[in-house]
Amino acid sequence: MIPVTYRASFSYLLRHPWQLALALLGIGIGVAVIVAVDIANASARKAFLLSMDTITGKATHQVIGGPRGVREDVYTKLRVNHGVRAIAPVVEGTITIDGMTLSVLGIDLFAEREIRDFTGEAHTRDAGASDRSTFFADFFLTPGAVTTSKQTAEDLGLIVGDVFELLADGKTRRAELLAVFPDGGNNALYRLLVTDIATAQEWLGRAGWLTRVDVRIDHNDEATLSALEAALPDGAQVLSAAGRTRSTSEMSKAFMTNLTAMSLLALLVGLFLIFNSVNFSVLQRRALIGVLRALGLTRRQLLAMILIEAALLGLVAAILGVALGIMLGEQLLHLVARTINDLYFRVNVTGVGVDAFSVAKGLVAGVGAALLAAALPAIEATAYQPRLAMMRSALERRARRALPTVTLTGIGLMIAAVVLIVFSGKDLVAGLTAVFLMILGFALCVPLVVRFAAIGMAPAAAALGGTTARMAVAGIASGIARTGIAIVALAVAVSATIGVSIMVDSFRGSVGEWLEQTLQADVYAGAQRGAMDPALVAAISDLDGVEAVSTRKRAWVEDANGQTQLRVFEMPRASYAGTEILDADPAAVWPAWESADAVLVSEPYSFQHGVGAGDSIVLPTGGGPREFSVAATFQSYDINASGIMMSRATYLRHYDDDTIDSLGLYLHNEVSANEIVEQVEALSNDWQALYVTSRAGLRQESMRIFDRTFVITNVLYWLTLGVAFIGILSAMLALQLERARESATLRALGMTRTQVGGMITAQTGIIGLLSGLAAVPLGIVMAWVLIKVINRRAFGWQIDMSIAPDILLVSVAFAMGVALLAGIYPAYRAGRSQPAIAMREE
Amino acid sequence: MAGTRFRMIALLAVLIVGQVHSDETAEPPSQLADLLGSAADARFARALEPRAFAFPDDHGPHPAFRNEWWYVTGNLDDEAGRRFGFELTIFRFSLAPTVPASSSAWRTNQAYVAHLAVTDAEDDSFYVAQRYSRGAVGLAGAQAAPLRVWINDWEIAAQAGTEAWRLRASDDAIAVDLELTALKPPVLNGIDGLSQKSADPENASYYYSITRMQTEGQLRIGERDYTVSGLSWLDREWSTSALAADQVGWDWFALQLADGSELMLYGLRLKDGAWDPASAGSFVDAHGAASHLTASDAEITVLDNWTSPEGGVYPSRWLLRIPRFDLELTVTPVISDQELFTTVRYWEGAVDVEGKRDQLPVEGRGYVELTGYSSE
Repeated sequence: MIPVTYRASFSYLLRHPWQLALALLGIGIGVAVIVAVDIANASARKAFLLSMDTITGKATHQVIGGPRGVREDVYTKLRVNHGVRAIAPVVEGTITIDGMTLSVLGIDLFAEREIRDFTGEAHTRDAGASDRSTFFADFFLTPGAVTTSKQTAEDLGLIVGDVFELLADGKTRRAELLAVFPDGGNNALYRLLVTDIATAQEWLGRAGWLTRVDVRIDHNDEATLSALEAALPDGAQVLSAAGRTRSTSEMSKAFMTNLTAMSLLALLVGLFLIFNSVNFSVLQRRALIGVLRALGLTRRQLLAMILIEAALLGLVAAILGVALGIMLGEQLLHLVARTINDLYFRVNVTGVGVDAFSVAKGLVAGVGAALLAAALPAIEATAYQPRLAMMRSALERRARRALPTVTLTGIGLMIAAVVLIVFSGKDLVAGLTAVFLMILGFALCVPLVVRFAAIGMAPAAAALGGTTARMAVAGIASGIARTGIAIVALAVAVSATIGVSIMVDSFRGSVGEWLEQTLQADVYAGAQRGAMDPALVAAISDLDGVEAVSTRKRAWVEDANGQTQLRVFEMPRASYAGTEILDADPAAVWPAWESADAVLVSEPYSFQHGVGAGDSIVLPTGGGPREFSVAATFQSYDINASGIMMSRATYLRHYDDDTIDSLGLYLHNEVSANEIVEQVEALSNDWQALYVTSRAGLRQESMRIFDRTFVITNVLYWLTLGVAFIGILSAMLALQLERARESATLRALGMTRTQVGGMITAQTGIIGLLSGLAAVPLGIVMAWVLIKVINRRAFGWQIDMSIAPDILLVSVAFAMGVALLAGIYPAYRAGRSQPAIAMREE
Repeated sequence: MAGTRFRMIALLAVLIVGQVHSDETAEPPSQLADLLGSAADARFARALEPRAFAFPDDHGPHPAFRNEWWYVTGNLDDEAGRRFGFELTIFRFSLAPTVPASSSAWRTNQAYVAHLAVTDAEDDSFYVAQRYSRGAVGLAGAQAAPLRVWINDWEIAAQAGTEAWRLRASDDAIAVDLELTALKPPVLNGIDGLSQKSADPENASYYYSITRMQTEGQLRIGERDYTVSGLSWLDREWSTSALAADQVGWDWFALQLADGSELMLYGLRLKDGAWDPASAGSFVDAHGAASHLTASDAEITVLDNWTSPEGGVYPSRWLLRIPRFDLELTVTPVISDQELFTTVRYWEGAVDVEGKRDQLPVEGRGYVELTGYSSE
């Protein structure tokens, strides 16, 4: 019995390949987006952790110092005076080769054995340029000698023995590829150059300083750890290596959480689509279901049949989706990695690592979504008396009757969303959950709204477009059980684009204004990486036409709680106005900031740490942890959530570091910025390549990076729209399929092909319009939540919301366009149907 | 011994850094031979003719030469008469004749390696530890005034306000903290300190010894500390040249006799098993007067052998005859297994001496170094 019914069920699907294909595609794309984002996130994270892990080697702890690092004599004293043995010095930084950025790991081969293996591994024979027996001496003696992974060498087009140029600390340097080491199969050391510590110090301008000291301490050897701590001078500290890696990788956590949320949005839209497909396939077979029930199949058997079908459908689609997701993930990974590199920390990815967990998640999501979507129609279909089940009108009646309940549930969900936002404090995941509740709640309200709108529109439609238009509109209202879902899917997708567009647009506006205010100097000149040559600073300051100079330094300080960024300024008082003070009287703030140990905290920092004017914070300094008073909070859209503004005078009192990253030049009135830009460039050519730009140029560059950050957001919402498009297409197709007899009747009654096609086109157009209109309020609410709740919680900043009318207009037009596009084929089909054949079915 | 150690140095110079990284034992001999055969850069200084030695300056480093070492060995007893031997050697290498100008203090051509070995005769145990470092940023180095030669926390340093030197070195299982006071002035080996290593005049070193140093201090094995005293021997040598291609190894003896005299003797072994005519030594009488010994002055007879559990057969008992000084000595290792598995594998250990001088019975103690015996 069972096999026969299943065959009946599947042969139905096979007889409707379009519907089957669209359902598969809908689930597939939803799953693909989830898998892709998951893979991209996981791969970026894994690449980072793997490379950190490999570079950290056997080190369990790291000795770190102030912003410049650890003085090298600290290391010497540990070895010579305290006899500490399992330690190794490290000088790290980045350089570029033909525009490609690589990390440099400067090490002392004599100390490496305790910590790392790969630094001493060398395959030199391939090219025959260097003999292994002399490799170690060459590595040690030759300035500029490097080793790198096989893959990196290939990508750079280098073979062993090649001499090449690179740009480090703004200067062109000569390097020689001494050997390559194996990648270990995982590319953990991709884009890493290993060199002697002396070369690293020379290149990076770090003479006298180490980035850190790697330490290996046996598990639970507290005695050695405390002895080491006791041996360190003030300002140096021992931190757990794993803890440091973790806190670095967590910097990008909010970014990744947001991406995951967006991928879930795609699945949610996909879910509507699956619901739609399964619902239709059940609806279409209501006659078959009635017959099977009449033949004695139990309700439970029927339910199982439909659910198994859905699960199989889901599984096939999920497998396709996973395959698609892996391909998509590769593209996405580059965007994710670029954003992480722009904003957080260096990560080099060579390819996606597909882990079983991501795949499993995608499969579960696909099958789960299919089951979830099928459950409701299945229960409904099997709940009827066999005779009733065969009647379509019964379904619509029930759907209409259920509308108030559905709508009330929707309102309840939206209220729940508001409550969740109010009571969840700073929790980002709760905020995102609220967004989803809100979308679901709204979605449940859409059918009722659409029904009333359609009923309300009927007279107007009749007046404007006659019977055809009236029938088209009435058809929407009477077929709400079927059209409703399509409308909801499209509305949700469009509202997401509205919400995200408004958010990005508002954000862009706020950042633009902030840059306008913050960038006070006429010309900016800074080192590409690291510090500016002091002589160059002096020479630039002395240029004719330069009236005043501000200096800037970004310094990272770190303790067991993680990293904090200090922005160290010395600037003319006139430019203080460029910093917007949010919670104190500027007149009182600046004197304290200049001379007393008072700092300003950025708005994100203030939000994250719950501190503001009048509070105090503790920062690690050259003399150990020190308390600083917070003079005020300032507005900032700088991505690094931790930001503290400190005067140079204060910084110099507490840190052993007088370097400067960049200069702001204030020019005499009659001097042109471009002229000074040229002069500074000419000057720096002899010293150190600088990044030189006018205020306008810097503003432009900042906006460019801003826009680049949101490329990935755009990609994701286009995918979501793609899913919605397929949804509306399959809904219209199914609807027309189901109404074939109705169309045939109309044809038989004398309507022309064009009229029938036109009616269907009008119907889909109106569905699009209604979806678009319904999407506007949800989109605006979503934008508000994204701006005021999600962004605030994820990054801590406040954005002024501004709604550009064109975003709304374009979105509604877009919804209509998508619907019309999706209606073309169904309209064509309905027009082509032979009335006699279509009607004979009865 | 100069040549002997020279060869080891050459091995070390190549291997140290490499060894830092791998737990594999020595490189294939073919590669080593290649390197040893390669001529040293002409810009290194050479030991070609006798020079004037000046102390304490010459206790310090001579970086113009490719290799140099401070080699201290000694025989000690604790208060209960427990017998120990120790070796602390610090090697210096110039891996290139010059250093490029650099902003980085890590840029150097100097590398240091040190070996510490302790022999516990009562327990029949032998312990070894090793250090290596670049000679920069204070991690390792050497200076003459005041004398200090160090590699990390191991050092040989003049004690402020005294004539004594202090030796300090420790590892997980062993440690020494000793004060050494010279009982005799430095002895210039070879011809006024120029020690010829083969027929080729290029193969030579500058070589002096302090053959008798009173030694007091602490020695630790495991968790146990011993208060010890005894006699030590310092060997100092620097050179640039390589060994002759037909030399395979050496037997080196540094013996301190109870009558106040000392004998230093090294036999360079040729591939055909014969002693190289460049083999030589010094005899130092109780007053510190030294006589140069040539190969024809000495007769070395092996009386017994010891097979290393790791392979290789070492001589382990000798009869030494120096007719010129009417000296006939039997040299016996305190324990058989004093083989070092450091960067280079060799045997260096404490020995007992028994025999006759001028027909009268005499005893003594000393150290022997044997290389080129391990089966590679």
